[in-house]
Amino acid sequence: MIAMHTQKHERFLEETLLEPEVLFIGDSLIRNLAHTDMWRQHFVPMHSLNFGIGGDQTQHVLWRVLNGELEHMKPKVVVLLVGTNNVGHLPEMIVEGIREVIKVIQSKQPQAYLVLISLLPRGQKPNPLRERNAKVNELLKEQLVGLEKVQVLDVNEGIVQADGKIDAHDMDDYLHLTPEGYRKFFEPLLELLTQLLTEGEEEELE
Amino acid sequence: MNPATTPVPPEDVQGDNRWMNIHERFLEETLLEPEVLFIGDSLIRNLAHTDMWRQHFVPMHSLNFGIGGDQTQHVLWRVLNGELEHMKPKVVVLLVGTNNVGHLPEMIVEGIREVIKVIQSKQPQAYLVLISLLPRGQKPNPLRERNAKVNELLKEQLVGLEKVQVLDVNEGIVQADGKIDAHDMDDYLHLTPEGYRKFFEPLLELLTQLLTEGEEEELED
Ligand SMILES: [Ca+2]
Repeated sequence: MIAMHTQKHERFLEETLLEPEVLFIGDSLIRNLAHTDMWRQHFVPMHSLNFGIGGDQTQHVLWRVLNGELEHMKPKVVVLLVGTNNVGHLPEMIVEGIREVIKVIQSKQPQAYLVLISLLPRGQKPNPLRERNAKVNELLKEQLVGLEKVQVLDVNEGIVQADGKIDAHDMDDYLHLTPEGYRKFFEPLLELLTQLLTEGEEEELE
Repeated sequence: MNPATTPVPPEDVQGDNRWMNIHERFLEETLLEPEVLFIGDSLIRNLAHTDMWRQHFVPMHSLNFGIGGDQTQHVLWRVLNGELEHMKPKVVVLLVGTNNVGHLPEMIVEGIREVIKVIQSKQPQAYLVLISLLPRGQKPNPLRERNAKVNELLKEQLVGLEKVQVLDVNEGIVQADGKIDAHDMDDYLHLTPEGYRKFFEPLLELLTQLLTEGEEEELED
């Protein structure tokens, strides 16, 4: 497992030379996006790179950003989503982990706008991990409010249905979004990125 | 006792009961009268997220009972606990074993054979397509060798078994330099949609053939 993680990290190090405008980094919820038509149709034309690794927890992404994955490039936006895999960690611990990752991103890529996606709900029915993720999101919003060039983006509206359940069409294993799920719930991210990249262009013109 | 042949649900280590809820959904889906049932681990499940699935396998009336992370003993538990009821598929496609952590090749083979035994007893009319384990890891490594050994044993032991075909889809996944390309497997374990398109073509052809043969027989009757 560690060997495979290292091999992916090594590939990402090579890819840092590809001059992305948008860097996506995080766990499988980031990675699986790269397997969708939405990625190919909308995010690839924005010059996006995807540094998602399945199963990653905050400490793993933290290690990666400290070990070369933010070198060479100068992206306009970094999109971060990590934390749902932090097994046995309290919400406060996970939030601290995410904030450490943000700190490294901001220090290595001070020009970049950071979009932090809120943790997604999980489990078909209400369960302690869903509550934990909701608590993480609540703390993140509190603690990151007003931070410059950081936006917390909540894409969760509608994932949990009125009866408290998650639909298999949206998350067929009740953890990962299906391609249809990405299409439905990542639309606000697409809009935000389009807006951020356009703003960048306008500034350049001025 | 061989843990690979001991039917059991995986422990809910994370605590959100996802696996059991997925299994329960599959139980409901058994009523959908599939012609082809796919069952196994994430390599089966992820296929359902591809255009290839929607374009080719869905029109065949396929159902997908793949669960990420499943080992042989988990699939064994599922086939013994309702996932083969109600339906009467013409073909069952099975792929499981690469997630059997710490199990010897012989143990994994025994686990797969137990699953096959249950499928054949519950669905005697069905043709069984067993997909060989895929290689894994960017570079040569012990798990790749283990999977290759499993495949070798499977071919030996299943040769001549009626209505069972071992399908090896591995040709070209490992390249001449011993590496797996990220375009085919971007995490060196799972196929990308492009990887499925390249390497699951033989499965598509085999299923098309099996379903057509079935139709011809029906016409003859
Ligand atoms: Ca498509």
